[in-house]
Order: sequence, then C-alpha cells, then structure tokens
Amino acid sequence: MIKTIALVILILFNLPGLAQYPGYTLSNHPEEFRKSFVEATTSIESVQSGFSQEKDLTMLSEKMNSTGKFWYKKKDKLRMEYIHPYPYLMILNGGKIFVKDGQKENQFPANSNKIFQQVNRILIDCVSGNMLNNPDFQARIFENAGSFLIEFQPMAKNLKELYKNINIVIDKKEYTATAVEMIEVSGDKTIIRFQNKILNAPIPDSVFNNP
Amino acid sequence: MHQFPIRFLIILSLFSLNTSCNQYRHLKRTPPEENCIEKFKPTFRREEYKISVDVIGKHISGLLLIKYMPDSSTRIVFTNEMGFSFFDFGFSQDNGFAVYHIVPQMNKPALINTLRKDFELIMFRNMDRNKSYNLIDSTTIYHAYPQEKGVNYYITDEQCGRLIKMQRSSDKKPVMDALFFDYMPGKSPDSISIRHLNFKFSISLKKIMPLAS
Repeated sequence: MIKTIALVILILFNLPGLAQYPGYTLSNHPEEFRKSFVEATTSIESVQSGFSQEKDLTMLSEKMNSTGKFWYKKKDKLRMEYIHPYPYLMILNGGKIFVKDGQKENQFPANSNKIFQQVNRILIDCVSGNMLNNPDFQARIFENAGSFLIEFQPMAKNLKELYKNINIVIDKKEYTATAVEMIEVSGDKTIIRFQNKILNAPIPDSVFNNP
Repeated sequence: MHQFPIRFLIILSLFSLNTSCNQYRHLKRTPPEENCIEKFKPTFRREEYKISVDVIGKHISGLLLIKYMPDSSTRIVFTNEMGFSFFDFGFSQDNGFAVYHIVPQMNKPALINTLRKDFELIMFRNMDRNKSYNLIDSTTIYHAYPQEKGVNYYITDEQCGRLIKMQRSSDKKPVMDALFFDYMPGKSPDSISIRHLNFKFSISLKKIMPLAS
C-alpha cells in the first residue's frame, strides 16, 4: 500500500505542469490558444500601463521593488520609465536604445548590448505576441480559469547562460500580458506586473524619441 | 552591460598595479596607532544603493544591495534597473571571498579581483594589526595595512578625528581612492565614491530608500 502511494506521489510530481505552477494545469488545447493569441495580439497597436517590478534574490531572502510606466507601440517601440526607487528611463526605438540615468544620457545600437537587447526583445515579444514564434525558446502552455501561463525555455546557448525560463501570464479576456517572470540560472527572478492597461489608445511617436 | 567598457576594464585593471617612483617616500614611518581606525569602520546591515559605473566614457547603472547575512558574511549583489543580476559576491568573516553568481561577460579574474579589492577596502577588511604601520606628514596619518599585493591606506587627520579618504596602492603608488560622504562613523555611508587613478574607472554609490510595502 505504502509503495503504491509513494509511486502515485512520484508520478504526480513528475508530471509536467501539475506541481510546477500552483493553480495552473497544462493546457489540453495549446494550438487553440496559439491561434486565439495571435489573432488577439494582431489587433493590438499600442499598450500603455503602469508596472511594478519585484526582484527576488532567493539566496538572500531579499526583494527589491521598483515601479514605473510602460509604453509599447507597434511594431518595436518601447519605453520603460522607472519612477521608484529613482528615475530611470529606457527607450527602444528603431534598433537604438536610449538610456537616461539622472543627468547621464546614453544612446547605443540595440545589438551592441546583448543583455539589454535580449530583455527588451523579450518584453516586446511578450506584448506583441511574437514570443510564440521565437525559435530561441520552447513554449509550454498552462491555464487556469482566468489566465494562461506560457513557460518559455531558452534554446539558444547565450540565453541558456542567462535564464532558466521566462514565464508570461496572459489574461484570458484581452489576451494581453499581465505579468512577465524572468527566472535566472542562479534562481533569482524578476517579476514585472502590468497594471491599469490601456490598449490601442493613440501614443505620439514623440514618446519614443530622446527627451 | 556594454561589451566595450567591460573589455577595457579587464585590460586596464591588469595595469593597475603598475609602479613608478615612490609617492609615499616623503612620509615618516611610525608604529601603528591604537584605537584609531576601528571606529571609522562602516556597518552594512541591509543597504540598497544606486550604483553608477563610469568606465572610459561609458556609463552603467543599477542597484547594489549590501547585506549582512546570519552566517556573519556580507553579500554584495549588483543588478541593472530591469532586475538582471550582474554579480553576487560573498565576503566571509574570515576574509574569504566567493563568487556566487556572475554574468559570463564579467567573469574575468582580473575584473573580479579589482572589484573584490575595491569592496574590501571600503568594508575595512584584511586589516592585520600585526602588519600595520603608520606613515605621517604634518597634517595627515596614513594608516597602512599591507595586503597580499600592495597596501590599503586609511587616511585620517593628525588627531584621528576624521577619516579623510581610503586608498589602495601598489608598493609605491596610489591606484585607487575611495571616499565616504554623509557618513557617521560606525553607520553605513549615504554615498561612496571609488575612483581608480591609473585609468578612467569610477564607481559611485548613493543610498536609496526601499519602497514602502
């Protein structure tokens, strides 16, 4: 009897998705989700939202929190403006990254800075829906009553060195990202939660220009 | 993280112990002074700093967490604003050092060693009283603590009432200056400046208050 129970427990914990993300189960209809997700994100021209960011340093039992504002405009314009704990601005536009840190301003090609490029690419792909088509990642789709959780495992060597996996939580009503969780190889993770999203409101291009 | 400045940082840090004429020659050597430097040692319990790194005209910024751990070690973690961790260093009570995490782009012995020595200076580590001595001139005392390579100096006024600055040197020449600002001895400084003298590499830290949860 004990052996049977132990076997059942062993099987349960080895089944992908059952124990990994509490409240979520592996989706039985991943292709259906993919189709609906691509359809929904095709109609998204812009996103504005607030965000809160939580950096979880697991080994140190520490959390570092930030908040700010987020703008996205199709196809590859992104602005993240951190307000707390200090002002910091990052704009991605036309293959260039602009950073303002206090009085210091810096502009450089996105491809000259691999970490910036990868993190920004991930954020844009999450919002635009392109992440599912990214060959650098292998995706698994989980769901619960209100949302989908897409788990992306990096396939490319340079990404594997940085991230264990990246998870995106997608709202079932709007098919937009409500949270992005980036889990590093060290076990530390960063969760960006989007709040008060406004979809498809006009955003002037000047928002993505150097201030 | 810029590939360009990191590469230069590594190359240039190799030259940081380069020596020429002895810039401490004019100072008079005396025995170490009792009960002077210990009172200036900062205490880092759990401090979050905004970190700005300038290296040969390039700028990198982020958050630096310094935390005293239950096992009496001190951990220093550098992340960028978007939460990506660059490194996680551990400094144990017995002067040990461990790299818990570092991004591949920064995982170079010369760079790690330079950062380790910089942090050790400002944390008042590796201070063997048996090897220490003083160098004095008319207005200042250089409290010298020989290291495996070079010497760490804690420079005070002649009454030992004020910590003027900290300095890392080769055998003959200063290679790095560090300063505390808005600092009550025994507490954690509000600001810290680290400036290398042999090449354009500086680190500035400004304490930030965590968000109320």
